[in-house]
Amino acid sequence: MTFEPTFGSTDKTGSTRRRLALALTSATVGSTMLLSGCAVANSDNAEGDANAASDTLRVVLQQEPPTLEPCESNLTSTGVVDRSTITEPLVERNPSSGELEPKLATEWSSEDDTTWTFKLREGVTFHDGSDFTAEDAAHTIERAVNSELGCNVEGYVFGDDDLTVEVVDDTTLTVTTAGADPILPLRISFLEVVPSETSDTEKVREPIGTGPYKLDEWQAGQKITVSAYDGYWGEKPAFPKAEYQWRDEGTVRAAMITSGEADIAMGLAPEDQIGDLGVPYPNNETVALRMHTDKPPFDDIRVRQAVNYAIDKEGIVASLYAGREKVAAQLVPEGIVGHNTGLEGWPFDLEQAKSLVEEAKADGVDTSAPISLIVRNAQFPKIEELGQVLQEQLTQAGLNVELKLLETSQHLQYQVRPFVEDEGAILHMTQHGNQAGDAAFTVGQYMETDGAQSAFGTPELDAMIEEANAATGDERQSAFEEIFAYQNEEIVQFAHIMHQTGMIGKAENINYEPNSSTGDELRLAEIKPAQ
Amino acid sequence: MLTYLRKRIVSSALPLVVVVIGVFALARMTGNPASLYLPLNATEQMREDFATRNGLDQPLWAQMVDYFGGVLQLDFGTSLRTGESAAAMALRAFPATLQLALTTMILAIVLAVIVGSWAALKPNGIADRIASFVSMAAASIPDFWLAIVGIWIFAITLGWLPTSGVGSSASWILPIATLMMRPFGALVQVVRGAMVSALSEPYIKLARSKGASQKRVITRHALRNAAAPALTVAGDLTVGLINGAVVVETIFGWPGIGKLMIDSILQRDFAVLQAAVLLTAIAIFVLNILIDLAYALLDPRVRPASARFRRKRTPEKPVTPADPTPTATAQA
Repeated sequence: MTFEPTFGSTDKTGSTRRRLALALTSATVGSTMLLSGCAVANSDNAEGDANAASDTLRVVLQQEPPTLEPCESNLTSTGVVDRSTITEPLVERNPSSGELEPKLATEWSSEDDTTWTFKLREGVTFHDGSDFTAEDAAHTIERAVNSELGCNVEGYVFGDDDLTVEVVDDTTLTVTTAGADPILPLRISFLEVVPSETSDTEKVREPIGTGPYKLDEWQAGQKITVSAYDGYWGEKPAFPKAEYQWRDEGTVRAAMITSGEADIAMGLAPEDQIGDLGVPYPNNETVALRMHTDKPPFDDIRVRQAVNYAIDKEGIVASLYAGREKVAAQLVPEGIVGHNTGLEGWPFDLEQAKSLVEEAKADGVDTSAPISLIVRNAQFPKIEELGQVLQEQLTQAGLNVELKLLETSQHLQYQVRPFVEDEGAILHMTQHGNQAGDAAFTVGQYMETDGAQSAFGTPELDAMIEEANAATGDERQSAFEEIFAYQNEEIVQFAHIMHQTGMIGKAENINYEPNSSTGDELRLAEIKPAQ
Repeated sequence: MLTYLRKRIVSSALPLVVVVIGVFALARMTGNPASLYLPLNATEQMREDFATRNGLDQPLWAQMVDYFGGVLQLDFGTSLRTGESAAAMALRAFPATLQLALTTMILAIVLAVIVGSWAALKPNGIADRIASFVSMAAASIPDFWLAIVGIWIFAITLGWLPTSGVGSSASWILPIATLMMRPFGALVQVVRGAMVSALSEPYIKLARSKGASQKRVITRHALRNAAAPALTVAGDLTVGLINGAVVVETIFGWPGIGKLMIDSILQRDFAVLQAAVLLTAIAIFVLNILIDLAYALLDPRVRPASARFRRKRTPEKPVTPADPTPTATAQA
């Protein structure tokens, strides 16, 4: 707009107009300044990104880590950044073989499965330059397991029992458990080591570790940058720098790979249009329906069997998931200690399901009692569709199923004890990920009579579980195998549906093979530029 | 004007308190956050420890007294999720939303005034029809769809813009373009309607007959009178944006207040939710005052109202005996 020379001098409204024009101008200028201020603060723009690609590894996560506190790194969103990248444990489980491997401890042993001796690696330093000694390892265990800090890993791996920790010398540590615990080293693999100066009354958001990368900067809401630690005891990582960003939407994460803005994108689904750049991997997650047996009709085993017969697992896997997932017959997939390879998924047999329901009805079971199928929104790809299919298939078998889609917090009230009371029969869709590699982490929680996520059990099964927990070697394997078979024959608390597959997006210039623990700990040091 | 401001501030303090108390109580009615923050196999003891540590074992009124005691000392509590100060998190997220909202609105208003006026020149003419189609479409396209399609076209297919993020100035374009559509569409309709009726007023004929140019007639006579209804709608739209553009912030990874609020609701992160709600409530209150002031600047009919209001207030008592006088004058 051009101004005429007569502007403002003759009429009374001129001054108002000038004020308005001024206000508008200053608003525009102000916001432009805000804009440019922001742009200046982040001067590494698109151009810079393209150049940086060669020495900076760019990762896009599903969400910003709530914290990087090492004693919470059993939480996926924290652990994916911390574990074996910024911080390191004493021992580490090889996700492919399931074997424990040395990390900050070089060897470990126990005479009686109660007192364990760890020999620690020499020549390791923390990112602040201080030496790693048995004091640090002892402080890490005390802090995470025995303190009042309320660490997530404490409840997740150790329960209420404290550990007795003793520093023998600079490189030797003993850990004593309350009772015999043959898998203590596996539990210890969940503890990321921090220096002995770390507060045990307050959590830290930005940890100091011994890992191949040290934390440089956390720009809240925007990104986390790390760089290779010069004093690292092991092999130098291929990328000198790395940065993490996060986007909620899978399609956007996928788009960042295809447009060259990121090198690795976590948590994708094939629907995200990632094409050939999507790399599938087994993520150890299993989907099952849990039947709460305290109310009819699930108090009758025939109805629980009918649910198993009524679900067309092959059909679901083939049509909803394009054949990526595997039909499940137990709560843990292959590769986990205790997985029973002999078990097969229940056959889909609608007639059998119908007649079992009829039989139960004839014996006086109220098979028309309302059943709530409890499903969590967006827990995994196509879960809403899966819920609808299951509702339809169970209705065909003669059951009265209502589908309830809930958000996480509400869903948890059905998932974990104490369960919601004022509800009809509950059919809970459970997604279980065993990231520890041992069935003990599954059966205690999901199958024991009073397990946190168990709605049914028997004294016989509890005894079998107790025995299996204390067993070692082949005996342990077969004890857990037996438990999974027993659940399918005698207990039938679960109707297993499928073992899932995860997917990451990977740029062409990157060399990385995802494995079953990739979703929980993305070891940056294992990622290399393609030759 | 100062009296007016003071009155507004006093009368708005109560709603602010009510909002915060409401959010405080309602948030707690949605359930105990313990199960979200503790491991799934947490024991009863761990649940109790968690409640004690976070003061959730106290009765609601005691929690509220505690909270407001803190607020008076500018302590808004600590986030359950991150362990950071809730106020710091809200204050960090808010500027991002504010920048986005203001830039979007300024662009939307400028474009809408141009397109709306252009359309109003010849009602039902070709320009009007195009403008009406475009604005209707803009106002009704769902923003998540637009955002994803925008990313697909401009970031993936053409490679002109980054998909998301806040790294560079180019990364502002898609979020703003997405966010602008709805306010732009709505405003074009309003501006067009107001301009059509303003242009048919007698004073426009008068202006034309005294030889004012078309540009002068539109910008100085018609637009000025059409501005008030547009301002009302623009104000409402801005309030909506300041509240957080959840969809756009989520898709583009924009670290704003809308995403923070949604996350803290889903995570039952009460302190952060309360801090964010209080902050946006204050911002909306300030914005409403600014809109009222802009009204007064724009429309002379509004100004005497506030002036009369001020006169009436100061000599409250002396006015009463003088009451019959105006009537008498009027009759005379």
